[in-house]
Amino acid sequence: MATVYKSLSKPSADKVATDADGANKGIKRNKQRVLILSSRGVTYRHRHLLNDLSAMLPHGRKDVKFDSKSKLYQLNELAELYNCNNVMFFEARKGKDLYMWFSKVPNGPTIKFHAQNSEPQTQQHTRIFDPLYVRVLTRIMVVHTMEELHFTGNCLKGSRPVLSFDLAFEQEPHLKVIKELFLQIFGVPQGARKSKPFIDHVMGFSVADGKIWIRNYEIREVEKAKGEDEEESSNKGRKSKGGDKETDVSLVEIGPRFVLTPIVIQEGAFGGPIIYENKRFISPNQVRSDLRKAKAGRHNHRAEQKRETLGKRSQLGLVAGTKKERDGLDTRELFA
Amino acid sequence: MPADKKNGKPSKKSKNDAKYEFAGASDDDESDDEDYDIDLARIDDTDSDSEISQEEDEDDEDEEEEEEDIDLDDISIDEEDEENVAASARIRETINNKEALLTSLKRFALDTSSNVPFSYHQSHVSKKVTEETIPAVDDDIVRELAFMNQSLEAARAARVLLRKEGVPFTRPNDYFAETLRSDEIMEKVKGKLIEEATAKKASAEARKQRDLKKFGKQVQVAKLQERAKQKRETLEKITQLKKKRKDGASTGLGATEAEDLFDVAVENELKGGNSKKRSASFGGGDGGDRGGRGGPNKRQKKDSKFGFGGSKRHAKSGDAKSSGDLSGFNAKKMKSGGSGGPGGARAPKTRLGKSRRKAQAGKR
Repeated sequence: MATVYKSLSKPSADKVATDADGANKGIKRNKQRVLILSSRGVTYRHRHLLNDLSAMLPHGRKDVKFDSKSKLYQLNELAELYNCNNVMFFEARKGKDLYMWFSKVPNGPTIKFHAQNSEPQTQQHTRIFDPLYVRVLTRIMVVHTMEELHFTGNCLKGSRPVLSFDLAFEQEPHLKVIKELFLQIFGVPQGARKSKPFIDHVMGFSVADGKIWIRNYEIREVEKAKGEDEEESSNKGRKSKGGDKETDVSLVEIGPRFVLTPIVIQEGAFGGPIIYENKRFISPNQVRSDLRKAKAGRHNHRAEQKRETLGKRSQLGLVAGTKKERDGLDTRELFA
Repeated sequence: MPADKKNGKPSKKSKNDAKYEFAGASDDDESDDEDYDIDLARIDDTDSDSEISQEEDEDDEDEEEEEEDIDLDDISIDEEDEENVAASARIRETINNKEALLTSLKRFALDTSSNVPFSYHQSHVSKKVTEETIPAVDDDIVRELAFMNQSLEAARAARVLLRKEGVPFTRPNDYFAETLRSDEIMEKVKGKLIEEATAKKASAEARKQRDLKKFGKQVQVAKLQERAKQKRETLEKITQLKKKRKDGASTGLGATEAEDLFDVAVENELKGGNSKKRSASFGGGDGGDRGGRGGPNKRQKKDSKFGFGGSKRHAKSGDAKSSGDLSGFNAKKMKSGGSGGPGGARAPKTRLGKSRRKAQAGKR
């Protein structure tokens, strides 16, 4: 009986809600559900990042580890099973590299990112054979999770974030797509089931160095001038008059903190033609192998140098057992 | 549009083709897939949440499919050539199919224009490109500051907009709910902050102490140097004096010898040097001053009192000389029985007994 009542009363309640909103009569409700899952072989850091993100997304549905790395199209069915229209998939490779897949499930695009933290820069890495690349910085591939202690912020679990996008997201088509996807996956839809009514954190998405840097901050209201408290309390009464200017906001970082390098955008959901490929991305495998080669090259170079000097010295007759041939300009020849 | 594409960007197209080939097995399969795609698109359009206008999207879809059709046709014609070209170039062609990206975007984009309330999407695009505000990406502090500024701008704008729309923004103080980071972690964070603060304080204290110590040491060093200087000066003076005395050693030989023995002149000289300001007289004072310690002539007095050198035993016992010395003897005094002496007329003083003395003491 209760279910019948619910089903009968729900549409009307929904209508009331939309009416209350007034302006958005023409707009459809923003319904998003995100399937959050990882592949096998994630490290604890990757797992913590996943947990952090799933804690931030009340419209997310965390699932068990996905067993396959090649048959990703199976994720579509899985998402359908859970009524999710977004998928956030953590693919770990070699127990150290993390790739994140963001996808709109039925037919939207799929974006593959390489996730890393770009905190400490370890070494500079040059690629000679590709003139477009001048210099690529390789960094330690870890992410900062919320558990790390140098973040002091905190916010409600499931409150809707304000999403702050860099202007750069509006300038390139592929960044536009990325922005839209982030908006739908990280933005908690209005009236999501477990969302909290207040807004107390911002998620920042910035583009720098060809990467997307994601940060999460708490909004803390601070006094700007005297008499802030009364202003605050009286403001509740007259909210319609617009925000007061007495309090200011400051930001405190909450975490997690990670950097995504877009690699590929596919047109379909885990399939379809590739419509964007990042040429600036070098796979971490390549980076590692180049580093190894550079290290090995050092020895070769040294050995070669040694040989060369030896040859030179023997030419000059400086090495024992070899004799320099007398030529016409020799002193003994000239002053004989 | 497809024609354009064909002429303008053959390489790009070829890549697409290749991908397509990769995705499906053969042309027949492709066509099947396409049908499926169209169906899917229709279905999605009917119930997708994020669509704005269905007609447009279908048009886009159709266009795209047309493109793809033509691409597929092309494959059979110039596949080999293209592949050869690609192989010879050996440069990885980058794919950035802007049209496809935009159509794809249009297919799933939410309406974030100004005619939707802000609370619908809560997204804000910054006014500046953040990367331009970062002079060096590798500088952590500058970079993070730029990111924070971008988010701060969004937070401010969002607050104004949301308040305008009547959406609760600030969390009241009495609203308790589960937070993103658990209490234990926040406790740890707090603990770490406190620890850092105390460590900072302690280190500051330690530094202060160290500085003080260093200063104290400086004072000590200065004192030692002063002392060394004084010593050097006195030694110089002594040598000078000795020279002088050697030159002019003539008169009062005995006295000078004695003085030499005890370095009296040297002490005199030293004292004169010390008290130069008031008198600067030569040999004026009596006895030297030994660095301020002890009195004048202390050693000499002690020596005369307690003796210096030789044995001190039997020093006071009588010997032949003392017993032969009769200078203190007076026969007259002996005869008169004390009357002829200085107090001769007076009755001899006799000590009374104890009880009497006591009685007298009581009377007095």
